[in-house]
Amino acid sequence: MMSQSGTEIVKPHTEPVVFATMSPLQAAEEDKYSACVHCGMCLESCPTYDELGHEHQSPRGRVHLMKAVAQGKMDISEAYADPIFTCLDCRACETACPSGVQVGTLIEEARGHIRQAIPLTGWKKTVSRTFLRGLFPHPSRLHALGKALKVYQRSGLGKFVRRTGLINIAPPHIREMEAIMPQITEPVLIRYPQGVPAEGEAKMRVALFTGCVMDVMFSDINEATIRVLIRNGYSVELPQEQRCCGALHVHAGDREEGKRLARKNIDAFLASGVDKVIVNAAGCGCALKEYPELLKDDVQYRDKAEVFAEKVEDITKFLHEYGYRKPRGKLDTRVTYHDACHLAHGQGIRQEPRDLLASIPGIQMIPLPDADRCCGSAGIYNLTNPEMAASILDKKMENVPAAAEVISMGNPGCMLQIAMGVAKYGRSQKVVHTVQLLDWSYQKEEQNERTEEVR
Amino acid sequence: MTRADSLIQELIEIVGTRGVLYRKEDLLAYECDAYTIHRGMPRAVVFPATTEEVAGVVKHLHKQRIPFLPRGAGTGLSGGAIPIGGEVIISLVRMKKLLHVDLENRLAIVQPGFVNLKLTHSISDKGYYYAPDPSSQYACTIGGNVAENAGGAHCLKYGVTTNHILGLEVVLPNGEIIELGGVPDMPGYDLIGLLTGSEGTLGIVTKITVRILKNPEDKKTVLAYFDEVEDASYAVSDIIAAGIVPAALEMMDTVAIEGVECGTYPVGHPPGLKALLLIEVDGIAAGIDEQIDEIVAVCRRRNVLEVRVARDEAERGRWWANRKTAFAAMGTISPDYLVQDGVIPRSRLPEVLNEIRQISETSGLRIANVFHAGDGNLHPLILFDARKPGETELAVNVGSAVLRVCADAGGTITGEHGVGIEKKEEMRYVFTGEEIEAQTRVREVFNPDHLLNPDKLFPKPGRCAEMGIIRE
Repeated sequence: MMSQSGTEIVKPHTEPVVFATMSPLQAAEEDKYSACVHCGMCLESCPTYDELGHEHQSPRGRVHLMKAVAQGKMDISEAYADPIFTCLDCRACETACPSGVQVGTLIEEARGHIRQAIPLTGWKKTVSRTFLRGLFPHPSRLHALGKALKVYQRSGLGKFVRRTGLINIAPPHIREMEAIMPQITEPVLIRYPQGVPAEGEAKMRVALFTGCVMDVMFSDINEATIRVLIRNGYSVELPQEQRCCGALHVHAGDREEGKRLARKNIDAFLASGVDKVIVNAAGCGCALKEYPELLKDDVQYRDKAEVFAEKVEDITKFLHEYGYRKPRGKLDTRVTYHDACHLAHGQGIRQEPRDLLASIPGIQMIPLPDADRCCGSAGIYNLTNPEMAASILDKKMENVPAAAEVISMGNPGCMLQIAMGVAKYGRSQKVVHTVQLLDWSYQKEEQNERTEEVR
Repeated sequence: MTRADSLIQELIEIVGTRGVLYRKEDLLAYECDAYTIHRGMPRAVVFPATTEEVAGVVKHLHKQRIPFLPRGAGTGLSGGAIPIGGEVIISLVRMKKLLHVDLENRLAIVQPGFVNLKLTHSISDKGYYYAPDPSSQYACTIGGNVAENAGGAHCLKYGVTTNHILGLEVVLPNGEIIELGGVPDMPGYDLIGLLTGSEGTLGIVTKITVRILKNPEDKKTVLAYFDEVEDASYAVSDIIAAGIVPAALEMMDTVAIEGVECGTYPVGHPPGLKALLLIEVDGIAAGIDEQIDEIVAVCRRRNVLEVRVARDEAERGRWWANRKTAFAAMGTISPDYLVQDGVIPRSRLPEVLNEIRQISETSGLRIANVFHAGDGNLHPLILFDARKPGETELAVNVGSAVLRVCADAGGTITGEHGVGIEKKEEMRYVFTGEEIEAQTRVREVFNPDHLLNPDKLFPKPGRCAEMGIIRE
């Protein structure tokens, strides 16, 4: 039936080097891609297709190639690796897909296969080794880096903060918020080994997933998260054995290291016996929720992974669902909200953070066109694919309304990327995490109350 | 340097290094569009950015006698953009600009790669929209819509693509650039009408002037559940007979409902329904409520189980997302599907649906029906598993049998998806050999060398349909 009349193919200028073909075992994911009926509804959602217009750089095209590899019609080669690794893993296509094809999972698995067949060489190997295996999984090394960073920051008079666009020439009320913004402190994992009790009677015990980079670069966000939680009657545990979530490893095709970290985290958090595991980094939250998928072949851990994943919740969804007291401190600022891919597409969390922001007195929300379009950060994508990441960031920045003074979001990777965009375009917006605005409003409320008392 | 190599070099000279794909691995994703049953590898894919580049590429290929075809988003359902003869694909996705909007004269000018829904999104804040709304409008391009004369749910009241095209810029198969129309009702032959729906066999459209409409003052949407397909079918006829022209009148049957409820946009339709209707009326606000009352009354007379009006825009949006993603949602209940596109007189709906059910039972393949009931445009989705030996062929034969039923009922074989490579042989169900030859003579005028999208739209002369028909 298949028409083969058009089989004359142009000889490529350079023959791609073939490294391996797919083993039958690796091809076992058939049902996952057979749900793709090639309709093309995903095309417009894909930032890389939008940029290049190439079918093989679209979700449908990538799935088509995976099918071809699984069916032995195509070899695993650099020509296959390119579209698979050019994917941002932003999951926007999963939102668009009418039949629920899990493109993200398929991409991550394909990357695993590719890395087995074509191990990295050269500088990419060095970068990957240094960051993925040498740094992120080791809290002590990360914390040492954090200290070094802090010294740099002090000596450079907050140059770093300025360079990432966190201060700039801000209007007075923004500077006011800056003033109550806590200084970068040491990682919360070190600071509160015993956890932090709730203010007043504890409604619930939760654990905070601190994240590896989050706790070093953005420990102030972790501090803010803890303050907001305890203020609302949740006691916060900080299981000391927790590790990096492994998302970056899985994205890069290093599934073994990803699984090792997953098992560590499952053990650490289940041992703490908490009701919920709170995450404030969208990428980590998504990865933690997907542990059951990652460990589905691990007889010992797959059930535990299910139990663990059930407990994982993003901070904004948690507060929205389990309740928080509306803050009273007025912030008087215009805020636009950027949907982190791994919140909106990965976890379906869109309205909750917006509701939280809207509940803060004095905040005027300004819609961000294409708010759920990737900013180009995508884990370490901006390091591995700088050109593509930059053009995607350009589009994001074009959409940021001039009237907005603050860009709020729920993922540290996006914060760094968009802060870079703010700096690059000479914009003045402040880049913050949603929970920080909530925290600042609570703090302002307290300040006001103290002032009242003094009077 | 081989001849093939030099062709690539020459194409690169016209559109630049980044404008040509030629490695086998990079071409594989172009072996089919959204019709996946036939496949073929292109010789190369070229990405021109301007009309002049399109003309340059076409001129070159014409000179070299190399066949070629245009491609938009590749969402077509009849294989019009599949290179079955090793053609060079001219992809128009990089020509995706909205060039001009003229609200006073209610028109917009777009490049062919501009996505259908983006036009409405770009003008909706000013109170305007672009009416033709194929279900793939999130992704399909207006250039592709022109090629296929695309329809959509709201074409019942507003007409299909051809009713909304005011002007075209076209690159002819020899590379010559021509302009057609530009203002409504040009004297002389209606060449825009001829080009629209020609499935990329007469020319490559590089600029399109479309009509835009003012948003209706009000619209209301009704959802009606039935436990008999016949009741739903009669309700469709009764609504039209009552003198109402709904903006859309859509129907889904049991299997289709099962699919959409498993998909990404479930509405929560109760299980076990035999049919549902999605009906929308729009226009000036006065009179909308009366029309809705009348529609509800008609449904009640036809034993409706439940009928309700969308509470707000959000609910209306959910109902439409559910309907518009119906085809692909079938991926959740079947690994493959083949969608047919027959058109029948509305009054024959109950008996034709019955015959389709019989074909399904005889063949053993499930058929989901989700379609534009108001204009009798059926979309039977034949569910199959290509991995099972013989099932693809069976599905193709079932599809052909369904089209025979439509043609015999006084209808035709395609409403909006085009003939492509899929329904070439079925053209004989509706045209005699002489009629087909007359049409191919028109093609000769534009495309005398058959280099542009060859072997599409019409069957090869003299060869009779070889497709076996299941129900016989």
